[in-house]
Amino acid sequence: MMRVALAVLLALGLVTTEASAQPAYPTRPIEIIVGYAPGGGADVAARLVAGYASKKWGQPVNVVNMPGASGITGALRALNARPDGYTLLLDPHATSSMLFAVESDVPFKMEGKTHIALVTLDPAIYTVKADSPWKSLQDVAAAAKKDPKAFRYGIAGVSGIAAFSVSQFLFGAGVPIAETNKVVFTGGAPALTALAGGHVDFAGQQWSESAGLIAGGKIRALAVVNPTRLPGLENVPTVKEAGFPDLDVVGWQGLAGPPNLPAPIVQKWNALLSEATKDKEFIDQAAKVSKVVAYMGPEPYWKFQQDELKKYLPLAQKMGIRK
Amino acid sequence: MFALIGSVLGTLVGVLPGIGPTSGIAILLPITAFLPPTPAIIMLAAIYYGAMYGGSTTAILVNIPGEVASVVTTLDGYQMAREGRAGPALAIAAISSFVAGTLGLVGLTFFAPTLADVALGVGPPEYFGLVVLSFSVVVNLSGPSLVKGFSAAALGGLIALVGLDPMSGTRRFAYGTSTLLGGIDFIAVIIGLFAITEVLLGVEERTRAVSLAPLGKLMPRADEIRRCLATMLRASGVGFALGLLPGCTPGAISFISYDLEKRLSKTPERFGKGAIEGVAAPEGANNATTSAGFVPLFALGIPATPALAVVLSGLMIYGLQPGPLLFEKQPQFVWAVIASMYIGNVMLLVLNLPLVGLWARLCRIPYAIMAPLILMFSVLGAYSVRNSFADVGMALVFGVVGYVMVKLGYPTAPLVLALILTPMLESGLRQSLSMAGGSPLILVTRPVAATLIAAGLALTAWTLYSRRRRSLA
Repeated sequence: MMRVALAVLLALGLVTTEASAQPAYPTRPIEIIVGYAPGGGADVAARLVAGYASKKWGQPVNVVNMPGASGITGALRALNARPDGYTLLLDPHATSSMLFAVESDVPFKMEGKTHIALVTLDPAIYTVKADSPWKSLQDVAAAAKKDPKAFRYGIAGVSGIAAFSVSQFLFGAGVPIAETNKVVFTGGAPALTALAGGHVDFAGQQWSESAGLIAGGKIRALAVVNPTRLPGLENVPTVKEAGFPDLDVVGWQGLAGPPNLPAPIVQKWNALLSEATKDKEFIDQAAKVSKVVAYMGPEPYWKFQQDELKKYLPLAQKMGIRK
Repeated sequence: MFALIGSVLGTLVGVLPGIGPTSGIAILLPITAFLPPTPAIIMLAAIYYGAMYGGSTTAILVNIPGEVASVVTTLDGYQMAREGRAGPALAIAAISSFVAGTLGLVGLTFFAPTLADVALGVGPPEYFGLVVLSFSVVVNLSGPSLVKGFSAAALGGLIALVGLDPMSGTRRFAYGTSTLLGGIDFIAVIIGLFAITEVLLGVEERTRAVSLAPLGKLMPRADEIRRCLATMLRASGVGFALGLLPGCTPGAISFISYDLEKRLSKTPERFGKGAIEGVAAPEGANNATTSAGFVPLFALGIPATPALAVVLSGLMIYGLQPGPLLFEKQPQFVWAVIASMYIGNVMLLVLNLPLVGLWARLCRIPYAIMAPLILMFSVLGAYSVRNSFADVGMALVFGVVGYVMVKLGYPTAPLVLALILTPMLESGLRQSLSMAGGSPLILVTRPVAATLIAAGLALTAWTLYSRRRRSLA
């Protein structure tokens, strides 16, 4: 009798040890590193993910901002962390495809990350000042071709989204880009403030950066780089509707980790994120901060990044910004 | 209620050196997730202006500016503390902050959307003009030797150039390291130059406490308040007007306000040696700027400072889209927040005045205890800005640089000013040029820009001339 009981206990014990061989995750707070200052597009996406994950898992998920060197400082920190799933990286276009299209000697490798998932898109929007005579992208193209020396456009950073979105448009429209006036600002807000104040004539910043001034009637959107129209901007055509189907510069935000992140942790995040991106509340919240929810699992996400790189590489060479 | 909690937290954030308003708000952003939008934003705003209040405390007591804008406060505030007048210095900082903060709010209340439109008209050439005008301050901050003042400013300019070129993305002075590529953090420099240098000097001089002078009266005398009244009004004006411009950094604004007072004063030689107006001016300007910063934030959705950018993302999380429509669509929200700011300002005054006595006593704590504490907070502060150890190293390096500068008689204030202004100067000039296809004529054909540049040059020339005459006399 005793032996049977002992055997049962042992068996139970074995069962439990086996169950705990698969360690529970997360058992302590998780850090998501953002390589940019609070308030930017990457930061907002990280807070969105962190909020959802901490609610679902009952563990704090903290956003840690480590701005510097265009996001490289934060990326290095996250990628050199222990691969235990407690230090992750909010990996946007700017520390992935777009960075590798511009820089030839990035201090880490694009494939040297554990790619977890794509979470959100932040499409580019072509904008002009509210009282600009230009009513469509065609008007802008015609004016810029007619008098390129008088055409002034504002972009945030020489190799950011806007640099690519505006160059892609000008190349496509056959504008002699070398003769135009490119005014570089340090961020999306100053670039669009200058547009609203009439100091430049054209911009192509991301949705999250443009939404406020569009809603306030200070700048006017001509087209959005998205397959469908955006919530709150239902009267703004997509680039395809506007007659420029080849324009495809979008910002995006994904989640990555240090190399060799254990598969169960990647799966756990994917389960959570794919659920989040179907959650009505999450989608609404994302739209409020001007993000399009777009989930992709590890493999499609990696393929997506490679495609993005292939898209931006020739563009960067043509723009003369590849180093 | 939430304004109260926010103000208290904000003061705390401001008092703790290095944890500036930006990181303070970002750290506290998650707790607002449990609140409805209006109290949440009220609290974030309170943390912001509370931190601006609190920043002066450490600047005066131990020469550590809690945030960028209180760098100028150290010039006279710390001198006052050493004379045993920490009480009046802290009190006038609180009073001036209150007066200017409230006046700024009046501006915000009545003119927000109109002013925002005016601010939009200010473009890169005007910002360049503003910087030229601001640089005329260097002459006045130089102390006895112009050459030394200018050298310090030049060093500050060079430090500001380290990192990625903002216009072309070229690497400058980074020597192949990714640490320097991110630029030298401003906070790390001022913590080094002010706090750590001061500790080094204190240890060398075997200081026994910040001040051994009897504490004396805690409140400023009636005639001091009267003298500061005009200062406060001018500081409010300068702070509010410049604070409306999203491209103008608060640090520069408090320098301009300080310089204005020094120029207008009948006894400019007292400045830098513990002049009470020298505390009232930057603190007032600082808080008027804070109030003004909400104008472009609410009316245009443009954050003037990194801290306001975090408030902006707070607004967006609640689906409150800032812009002219905010005033029409969400009037109860906007006015509730603005009303709470009046209350918050009163509460900060009520909160801070009784604390003056307590803070002032800190000056008498033996230096053997204070010095390690100051060092600890300096290191913490330098680390917390970017969560980076490299910044701690940088702060220590600048502590030594500051020590050498003081020993050789170089003033540190021009270095800081140039550090603040150089990025603005560079982007203003280069953006103006690219707007005009490379033609510098744009700087003289835009009337506001031309006036500002002319005024800056004239002021510099005039100050140089009067210095010369004084030295000849």
